[in-house]
Amino acid sequence: MQIDNRCVKRNKLLDRIFSWLFLAMAVLSASFIVVIILFVFIKGISPFLPGYEYGQVDLLAFLTGTVYRQDQGVYGVGFIVINTLIASFLALLLSFPISVLTALFIAKIAPKHLATGMQSVVELLASVPSVVYGVFAAGVITKIVDALATSFGYVTYGGSSLLAVILLLAIMIFPTLTSMSITAIRAVSPDIEQASLALGATKTQTNFKVVLTAAKSGIFAGAILGLGRAYGEATAVAMVAGNKLFGPTFNPFDITRTLTSTMLVGLKETTGLDYDIRFSVGLVLIVVIFVSNAILNAVKKRIGNQV
Amino acid sequence: MNRKTKDMILDGLTYISSGISVFVLIAIVLYLIIQGASSINWHLLSSNYNVTAYNAAVVETNPGNYAPYNGEGVYSEQYGVAFKDITTAHNDDEIQVVYIDSSSPLANMESLIAGEEGKMVGLNEDSVVQSLYYFDQSGERVFLSRTQMSDAATLVDILDNQSSGVYSINYQTLGGGIRGSIIVTLYLIVISLLISLPIGIASAIYLHEYATKSKINSLIRSGIDTLTGVPSIVYGLMGVTVLFPVTQLMGATSTSILLGGLTLAIILLPTIIRSTEEALMVVPQSLRDGSLSLGATKSQTIFKVVLPCAVNGILTGILLGIGRVIGESAALVYTTSTVINDYPTLLGQGTSLSLMIWSIMSGEQPNYELASAISLIILILVFIINILVKVVAKRFSRRLV
Repeated sequence: MQIDNRCVKRNKLLDRIFSWLFLAMAVLSASFIVVIILFVFIKGISPFLPGYEYGQVDLLAFLTGTVYRQDQGVYGVGFIVINTLIASFLALLLSFPISVLTALFIAKIAPKHLATGMQSVVELLASVPSVVYGVFAAGVITKIVDALATSFGYVTYGGSSLLAVILLLAIMIFPTLTSMSITAIRAVSPDIEQASLALGATKTQTNFKVVLTAAKSGIFAGAILGLGRAYGEATAVAMVAGNKLFGPTFNPFDITRTLTSTMLVGLKETTGLDYDIRFSVGLVLIVVIFVSNAILNAVKKRIGNQV
Repeated sequence: MNRKTKDMILDGLTYISSGISVFVLIAIVLYLIIQGASSINWHLLSSNYNVTAYNAAVVETNPGNYAPYNGEGVYSEQYGVAFKDITTAHNDDEIQVVYIDSSSPLANMESLIAGEEGKMVGLNEDSVVQSLYYFDQSGERVFLSRTQMSDAATLVDILDNQSSGVYSINYQTLGGGIRGSIIVTLYLIVISLLISLPIGIASAIYLHEYATKSKINSLIRSGIDTLTGVPSIVYGLMGVTVLFPVTQLMGATSTSILLGGLTLAIILLPTIIRSTEEALMVVPQSLRDGSLSLGATKSQTIFKVVLPCAVNGILTGILLGIGRVIGESAALVYTTSTVINDYPTLLGQGTSLSLMIWSIMSGEQPNYELASAISLIILILVFIINILVKVVAKRFSRRLV
């Protein structure tokens, strides 16, 4: 009886230890986001503080600057932020209709076999790593852009251009947009669909006017997620952006520079202002994503309420 | 326009949109196959990326009797060796040895490099010739530079018709292999999963089995969910500031593979947590109740009843994690450096397969063939993982139903 008692006590103690351990791990996992933001913030803000070892940088000039030249020590990210926004939004604009229509096709229109096949295509596209998209973009998309530019009478830098970045990003955010849209469309209650059909609307009318309208909140959430992807996409974009030294770039055939390509290109030393300033650019990237998400979520709420 | 035509046009639009995505996928795969498939061979997988130089003197000068050779390249009958012109992965035009008879004097030479004099070395199918000294018909020693030998045919012509023997050869390995990067990728997979799995599974258990509806728990959940949206390049920045001191404690002096692995471990966390949690959700509550009512404690129930049922979700998490590690590049640029290392160590620098592509593509002269070949390998691996995930999911759903 006594041994049994000890065993129970031990088990109870173990049980308590484990429950604390699970909690600790969950807190640890959740705290990484705080750690990420905190440390990137501390390191990113340091070049603008007085007493910075490589010479203090003017914050306002950094945020509003239109020239970024590491060889001259001039760092301005204002135009880079605009470039990033332009490239990402245009990519979304291009990818959005195709994604939504594909999602509608998979969820409602396609025959069953075709739908499963298409779903696999979307999943495969989602699993392609970003460097592989980058190699494809550098090898194929730049050639297409170059040919297009020639027919318009422009000369490109080997095809590296704003347009190439837009096309690349449009392809890269397509799987995200599509799978989110599929989820949203499948979640639409069959009641409204049947009501629409009963009122005499055709299947197609129902799909386009009723289902898509009912799913718009979820589709919009996908767009927000896709846009976040587009902002943060790094290696592939850096392969075709071309890294213009000043800007902003509005000509689609001209080279451009995004926040992520700025952080990656020419990375050699791991000390000095040129290295530290990349953390500041990273901080700007985080802020851009955060602000954009906040605004779009507010918009989404208003749209969602209008159903 | 009547209703029917309108409907047909709208439906047609969805078909066209789907067609575009299929077209893009096919275009990517086709491009990689056309550019890279011919470069994928055993040499690519097994050899070093960087070249090693050799300088060696011929010991045996009597030409031997060689087996007849009818393969590719230009064959030198006097020395039993065949050469061909190639462009290496480093974009240099070189003369490569494509065949060498084992009794050729050039296959058994003594090294002249300081520190390893007398060591037996020899040309093999992995060698490219840089320059050589030969004896002409009058026995005079003549230097033949790389530019003088211009191509394989010229070299063989000089060897067979103008020389009476070879004194020494400067040659190097072909290079351009991905062996080192494969090893780094394996390192990264092991390190990241080793750290990410226990933390991720424990977090998932807490979130699903313990967490009640409270403010703190929803905060924990939203913290983990937010991790998914962080761009991988930002993870890289975090890794080099937060985790670098941790690796320093273990003796790292620069960015290292260990640091890359630790950073990847955090990147994998949301994936592991989500797939484990999804598996925990389908474990029937009755199993838990049964175990608890038999007197098992909650942790015993979790380890002995719930987790074994959720093993497929953990497996899915591992597979997805491996896929993510293979494909990750931006976070590693900052944490493992972009130096292609043929002999990687845990605390040394190196590139994974993906990072090697970035390293090649961001260089002065991007080598599209090599980059496409590695991309194709990565793509095949990722597609296999995709299929495996489906197989795991299918087998599991059958078992429960």
